[in-house]
Amino acid sequence: MEIYDTEEERLEAFKRWWKESGKSIIMGLAVGFAVILGWNYWQDHRKDQAAQASVLYDQLLKAVEADQKDTAEKLAERLQKQFDGTEYALYGELFRAKLKVQQGDFTAAKEILKKIAASSNPELKNVATLRLVRLMMANGEYEQGLQLIAGVDAAETSSFAGAYDELVGDLYVALDRLDEARTYYQKALRNGYQSPLLQLKINDLTAPEQLENQK
Amino acid sequence: MLTKIREKAQGAFAWGILIVICVPFALWGINNYLDTAKEAPVASVGDKDFYQRDVNRAYEQYSQTLQGMAIDEQALKAQALDKLIKDEVLLQYVHKEGLVASDDTAREFIKSLAYFQVDGKFSDKQYKALLSSQRISSSEFVNRIKNALIMEQFQRSIIDSSFASQEDIENFFKIQNQQRDVSYVTVTVPKLSERPTNEEIASYYQQHQDLYRRPEQVAIEYVELSLAEVAKTVAVTEDKLKAFYEEHKDEYSTPERRKISHILVAINDKTDDKTALEKALKIKQQLANKDFATVASTVSDDKLSAKNGGDLGLLTPGVMEKPFEEAASALKAGEVSNPVRSAFGYHLIKVTELIPGSIKPFDAVKEDVKKAYQKAQAETAFYDAGEKLTEMSYENPDNLQTVAEALGLTIKKTALFSRDKGEDIANDPRIREAAFSEDVLKGNNSSPVELGADRLLVVRLLEHKPAATPGLNEVKQEVAAAILKDKAKQQSMEKARQIKSRLQAGESLESSAAENKLEVKKLTGLTRSKSELPEQLNEAIFKAAKPMGGKHSVFITALPSGEQVVVSLSQVKEGVMSEEDKKQLALAKKNIAKAFGQTEFNAVVGSLQAEADISVRSQAELSKAQ
Repeated sequence: MEIYDTEEERLEAFKRWWKESGKSIIMGLAVGFAVILGWNYWQDHRKDQAAQASVLYDQLLKAVEADQKDTAEKLAERLQKQFDGTEYALYGELFRAKLKVQQGDFTAAKEILKKIAASSNPELKNVATLRLVRLMMANGEYEQGLQLIAGVDAAETSSFAGAYDELVGDLYVALDRLDEARTYYQKALRNGYQSPLLQLKINDLTAPEQLENQK
Repeated sequence: MLTKIREKAQGAFAWGILIVICVPFALWGINNYLDTAKEAPVASVGDKDFYQRDVNRAYEQYSQTLQGMAIDEQALKAQALDKLIKDEVLLQYVHKEGLVASDDTAREFIKSLAYFQVDGKFSDKQYKALLSSQRISSSEFVNRIKNALIMEQFQRSIIDSSFASQEDIENFFKIQNQQRDVSYVTVTVPKLSERPTNEEIASYYQQHQDLYRRPEQVAIEYVELSLAEVAKTVAVTEDKLKAFYEEHKDEYSTPERRKISHILVAINDKTDDKTALEKALKIKQQLANKDFATVASTVSDDKLSAKNGGDLGLLTPGVMEKPFEEAASALKAGEVSNPVRSAFGYHLIKVTELIPGSIKPFDAVKEDVKKAYQKAQAETAFYDAGEKLTEMSYENPDNLQTVAEALGLTIKKTALFSRDKGEDIANDPRIREAAFSEDVLKGNNSSPVELGADRLLVVRLLEHKPAATPGLNEVKQEVAAAILKDKAKQQSMEKARQIKSRLQAGESLESSAAENKLEVKKLTGLTRSKSELPEQLNEAIFKAAKPMGGKHSVFITALPSGEQVVVSLSQVKEGVMSEEDKKQLALAKKNIAKAFGQTEFNAVVGSLQAEADISVRSQAELSKAQ
């Protein structure tokens, strides 16, 4: 820091400094304001979008409940087109997949589910994968289903492990590999997985020697 | 099975609605946060803390919905906390994901709740009354509703979007409608009469001492104060009843009823005070020979009442402005008032109907008065006696005589009972809890136990029997009987095992049954749901391994009676959908889809919980913090 003797010198120095950096300071402030305004605008816009999507989604839920399939499908498509980027669009896709299954169009349903499975929402990703494999099973694509599940990252899916295990068990039953099926069902049960259907399936696959041990 | 699935799905689904319905309860704690800032939270999710009272509240709701079921309180409290945490995790998640509910949606929803409805319609009054009784503002309530709504939006995105394919349904019915063919013999438990030797008895007793252990028991004495007893003692005199009657006269009278009509001359931009008054006076003059209703319908500025000839209905105190009310109350029937000034303008008021108030004479309502008097007196007396009971039993902790004599109560006694079970008065868990409280076991009077609003008891210890194991001689007969029962069971099990291994070796069930003089029963086409067999047996048949390689599957199962059943399972037929099932196909699809959705949703919540920042403090940590 320089030492200035008089008021005039100090003023001179300030003028000099302002000439050098004044522009960048004003620019900086302007950019700062623009960012704040932009951010606020973006936030408002996002909230507004979400609010509109929410209303549309409620309509979709009502249509699904009343079994009005055409209306439901149109609403889901609108969500996807107009509000892509909101979670509601993703939820709409889940319903669209269901509607395709009800129409018997498994190929379209699978495409939709594959897209959700590739999304960045880890929870919906797993839900979509489970549904995708269930559709593959209905299509007789057992081996492909097993492969898909084998490729799922176990670390990301700990709370879904039971559901995946049950599904693997189902696939093995379909392949008539009952010992493996039993192993996976029991694995699901051991993990504390609760499903009313699972118990039924396990009881149906009792191994001959197992009952012996129970006595 | 289908209904079971459905119940399960619905049971879990209901939480969303529960959050909404029980909001007022859940809010109870909020108002108390300020002065309890020092209290350590029981659990926290992110930056949201939960305190013990939140858990207690949640527990109360929980136990209300499970009323009548015997469930361990601690387990239930743990569940309640778990639910609090889960709901909070979900709430924070849906906020993070940017879900929103509009004011309109929230309003619509609130209006649809039966809670706030009177005669099927939303009532603002009811709404405000309920909210203020729970000490919660409308904006806070609406906020809660919005939260619940977006949580439900997310929940339904998983559960309602799940589906079941035709294959899923068929796979389900393959198992559900499966048929099994069996033949079986029942090995009865033999009746043994040979008395076990003393050595046998002694060693059995040694090995099974737990079975003969007697729990800790107490017998108590107690005094009971009840409202009904107190009421009987309330003395009634004519004078007292009359005084009571005078005091509560409005309860025995019907008030005066006045039906009124009016004509309004409004004061507004066009008509000032003076003009209006003049106009009103003019109308009053006209009324001398014209019908009030006709005039009202043409000139009154109160258009609404003008249509009905100025009729305002019954005069209810406090509705109209004071001058209006005073003028209307002073009129005779048929009389028209002078112009009365109100905020609206000048009114001409007429009383069209006047039913004077009446008071029922004392003699006509004497019985009612007596009842009311006794009740009121008894309540006061009961309350006073209760105070005395509390005080005296505390000040004289070493006996009940003092308080019993002072209040004219009799001391009653009970038989021995344990912590878990008792008879008569000890059947009530609150009494047992008091009887086994530390203070009472030490020999002091208990603090008063309230059984409902109208019974109050104080108990004290009469006899205390610590837990004990009775000597062998005391229970010799019991032990001998138990040994015989055991032996008989062993014998029937042994026989069943023999039969089983012979069957497995290839012998027919008929031949080994004949040898043992047992009857073979054959059943074909058994199903899970329809069977005349005992439940345990049918369940075991459907849990058994299937026959393989042409060999029957043989197994033993025990009935509750102790009998052993040797079953030979010869055939399993895959299930198909019955005609009845096909009719219900849509329902079955829906239920199975929901079951899938529910398990998926549980996994989603589990996943969110794993990601969330949750900490739960144990009881030990809590007491250290305090």
